[in-house]
Amino acid sequence: MNAKDYMAEARGQAAKPQGPVKAAAAKPAAPPPEAKAPEYRHIGKPTRRIDGREVVTGRAAYTQDIKLRDMLIGKILRSPHAAAEVLSIDLAPALALPGVFAALKLAESKVRYAGQQVAAVAAVDERTAEKALSRINVEYKTLPYVVDWEKARDASAPQVRDGKGNVEKFNEYSRGDVEKGFAEADVVVERTYRTAFEIHNPAETHGSVAYWEGDHLVVYDSTQNVHGVRDGLARALKVPAANVTVIKKYMGGGFGSKLGLNEQTVAAANLARETRRPVKILLSRRDNAVCVGYRPSSLQTYKVGAKKDGSLTAFSLVNYASGGVGAGDEVSEPVVDIYKCPNCKVEEFTVFTNTGASRATRAPGHTQGALGLEGVMDELAAALDMDPLELRKKNYSTRNLGDTGLPYSTKGLDTCYELGAKAIGWERRNRKPGDGSGPVRRGIGVATSIWFGAGVPGTLADVVLYPDMSVEVVCGTQDLGTGTRTHMAVVAAETLGLEPKDITVKLGNSDYPWAPLSGGSLTTPSVAPAVRDAALKAVDRLKAVAAARLKVAADDVAMGDRKFFAKSAPEKTVAFADVYRDLRRETPFHGERTGYPGDAYAFNTFGAHFAEVEVNVETGRIRVLRYAAAHDSGQIINKLTAESQVVGAVTQGLSAGLFEERVMDDTTGNPVNPNLRDYKIATSLDIPEITPIFVDVVDTRLNNLGAKGLGEPPRIPSSAAIANAVYNAIGVHVREIPMTPQRVLAALKRKGAGS
Amino acid sequence: MREFKIAQPRTADELAALLAETKEPVAMMAGGTDLIDELKSGVATVGLVADLQAVAGLAGIVPEKDGLRIGAMTRIVDLAEDAAVARDYPSLRQAALSLATPQLRNVGTVGGNLCQRPRCWYYRDPQVVCRKKGGFNCYAFQGRNKYHAIFGGGSCYIVYPSDLAPALISLGAKATIGTAKGDKVVPLEQFYALPEIDVGRENILDKGQFLKNVRVPAPKAGQKAAYVKLKERGTWDFALVSAAVAGVVQGGVFAEISVVLGGVAPIPWRLRKAEDALRGKPVSEALIRQAVDEALKDASPLRENGYKADLVFAALKEAVLAAAA
Repeated sequence: MNAKDYMAEARGQAAKPQGPVKAAAAKPAAPPPEAKAPEYRHIGKPTRRIDGREVVTGRAAYTQDIKLRDMLIGKILRSPHAAAEVLSIDLAPALALPGVFAALKLAESKVRYAGQQVAAVAAVDERTAEKALSRINVEYKTLPYVVDWEKARDASAPQVRDGKGNVEKFNEYSRGDVEKGFAEADVVVERTYRTAFEIHNPAETHGSVAYWEGDHLVVYDSTQNVHGVRDGLARALKVPAANVTVIKKYMGGGFGSKLGLNEQTVAAANLARETRRPVKILLSRRDNAVCVGYRPSSLQTYKVGAKKDGSLTAFSLVNYASGGVGAGDEVSEPVVDIYKCPNCKVEEFTVFTNTGASRATRAPGHTQGALGLEGVMDELAAALDMDPLELRKKNYSTRNLGDTGLPYSTKGLDTCYELGAKAIGWERRNRKPGDGSGPVRRGIGVATSIWFGAGVPGTLADVVLYPDMSVEVVCGTQDLGTGTRTHMAVVAAETLGLEPKDITVKLGNSDYPWAPLSGGSLTTPSVAPAVRDAALKAVDRLKAVAAARLKVAADDVAMGDRKFFAKSAPEKTVAFADVYRDLRRETPFHGERTGYPGDAYAFNTFGAHFAEVEVNVETGRIRVLRYAAAHDSGQIINKLTAESQVVGAVTQGLSAGLFEERVMDDTTGNPVNPNLRDYKIATSLDIPEITPIFVDVVDTRLNNLGAKGLGEPPRIPSSAAIANAVYNAIGVHVREIPMTPQRVLAALKRKGAGS
Repeated sequence: MREFKIAQPRTADELAALLAETKEPVAMMAGGTDLIDELKSGVATVGLVADLQAVAGLAGIVPEKDGLRIGAMTRIVDLAEDAAVARDYPSLRQAALSLATPQLRNVGTVGGNLCQRPRCWYYRDPQVVCRKKGGFNCYAFQGRNKYHAIFGGGSCYIVYPSDLAPALISLGAKATIGTAKGDKVVPLEQFYALPEIDVGRENILDKGQFLKNVRVPAPKAGQKAAYVKLKERGTWDFALVSAAVAGVVQGGVFAEISVVLGGVAPIPWRLRKAEDALRGKPVSEALIRQAVDEALKDASPLRENGYKADLVFAALKEAVLAAAA
């Protein structure tokens, strides 16, 4: 899935299911219904993962572990050329090899990037399949190509798309009058920031196992979107959606690279159809770097004007982004939205190159945008001789679109600033960037996050009660490794007065009730309210049954200590077990995540990150010493997995900020580091102590739990906070990530040269 | 992965005979941490893998009257944990501990580390036929070269990746080469050869020869040494630049000194001009700067690796000051 579709999903603009989606009545005049978190037994408390033991003991079966009787191994031949006409593909020599069951042509007339699929085979084992690939004869006529995205901007560069230039404007926005705003400013700062191509690299690479039962297709897929893959497969294979089942029980991450239907899934289904056998295709680590997406690069030039007191008068942004044969990311949402500023103008361009298409990557656009926006805010603060945190507070908004749009239903960002600053010891920062001396300098930086995370109305979940007191929660969502399975159990247990371990959770199957893709920080605020709704209905039924036993009115029944009792006569009790037995058969309750007044309020998540770093100005090496991450994501469902999200996202941001970069080679048209040795990811020795903080602003307008998403918010400011801390340490902003020793030393030379 | 045969000789003589006799391209496997990867990716294409695991007498650290003998099949972890190494050769221990990760050090060997193939990303790409693999071009020369050589390039700009070799060379180690006609001993420094000698290999091992052990001479009175490795991340990273310094310090002055760098040249790079500048003068930051500037006159950086010149100073400053302290 590309970032544009993804952002539509994240904003809740994508097609929603028609039908009984109830919108809560909008009351624009009402004060924000901020409520202190209710006293829960499980919600918001630390609950260990109900599947943790299975995962860490290796018993959890991931897609890669699926083995079926008579299963064949599929492999995909990929173009080594960045651009070529495919003149012919001869599959016969591969098919002649003993043990090869099928071969398919996949390439159309042209390939436009190295790594593009050309053909596929299915064979008895991996070695035979590999040998078969080497027997396929492909005749290419190579064409001129460009993989360097800065060269691709040149008018004389080879055209990536036939008959169209490589640069295309893909976003613009304007409010107020920026020229007037800059004229009114006392200080104007203009700076350019760059971000690199960042590969998702989930621990589990992409993979699919497909088989047919008659005319019904079953696919085990490593996916963030079982329903979307089902629909995509139905279209691609021209079969009814009702005849496709997509299963994903355990997953080793996706980060956006597994949101839509993957080519290898279609190939596996087609090979399975042809051979009448199960076919498994696993992608390699190299494939992860060439054909399943990455975070696009950006080159962002910000101009910002401010009065002496720090109030912003105008913002402009010109961004160039590159997403290979696909589009780049729009990075402008943070600058358009977060700070109070009457005048703002944005122009964004995408640059096409002969590399695989980018895909949504954990908080697409916002992560890149935060590096630039938060960087220029810090450079502006220095120009104003102002505390960077004070500058942010000075321009605090309570409405979106720079305080010109809808009121935020709730916004706990001020509390995030306060608690985060306290946790890091903000007062210890250098008053002026680069104030320290000696070869090792310390600095502290801050960066802000805004994201969506309201969830998707229409999400469905069932709670099924059994007479033996077992309880099942069923939802066609998926657990990417984030802890969805556990939070479903937490919500059901909380509502039903049980323990999370009492709940059997069923998810990761497109035959289950509909839930949206797991991306856009949608899962928790979609699924948890649906489970809550179903469980509340179940409680109503249980209370009615208990009332009959207790011979009191249903509204007189209360629940506690695994018993029902009459509020009017608490000595009258009936045990849960007896009430469940009275249900006589398993009884399902259908829950739904209802609507919210999105036309009257803006619903967003917020966060503020604080990093402390040490920079060796002789070696250019950065060490992150301490980190505090404060978030307003509404009601937290499970504190442990929420903290995991924050720690993981900060780690990823640190890694992208210091190490990660796909390096393309112009001569070969291929990446030089499509592996985990040369594409460097942070190791345990690089990760500091990380303090997650949740500010517990419960938005009762949004859903029945006041929960918002958290998957992406902590990724957004995590590279930026470190970059700003480095600026505070050495007195010059590196303005480019990853901040390798090479770039830190270059920045210090720029400082020495006085620019 | 291409198919290959595997042989498991039991003695050094059997190994020498096997290597001398075989007609097929052969790779020796010590810990196998890197060779397996090369075979799987198709970068190494051999007909025979000689597994050294069972060869008697190749592993172990043995005190001798004039120093320490370290067998080629000694695991890195055993070198790092050896009491005599910790006592007499702290820089060698530092180098061993800075290397790879605990998992790799548990399996990887001294000989494998000293003979490891380059990490150049063009060499490691099975789709690329570079000069080292029999092609015409060094792709790094005009390509992506932030990790490549600033000294000693020319036909091929790989850098020598091992951490142990610079430390061992600075300590005056010698290499014992096993052959079918008996052992041959050379200074470890001369064990390595520039691409201009033979671009296909990084050392002087001819067909039929193998590294048997290294011998480190007994420390001299007043001997001081240090190893500094500059890398991008905290662990599991090859040196951007590393510096091994060893010498005899008398009253804040290096009476003898040797300086060997890793990560800057196709072989461990002896910085003789810096040694000359540092020898016999009171150690100071200014003297180190002067010594590095002198040595860097021989450097010819490529488009993306000029920053390594700054790192040479940073690494050498830290190593010299640590050794002199």
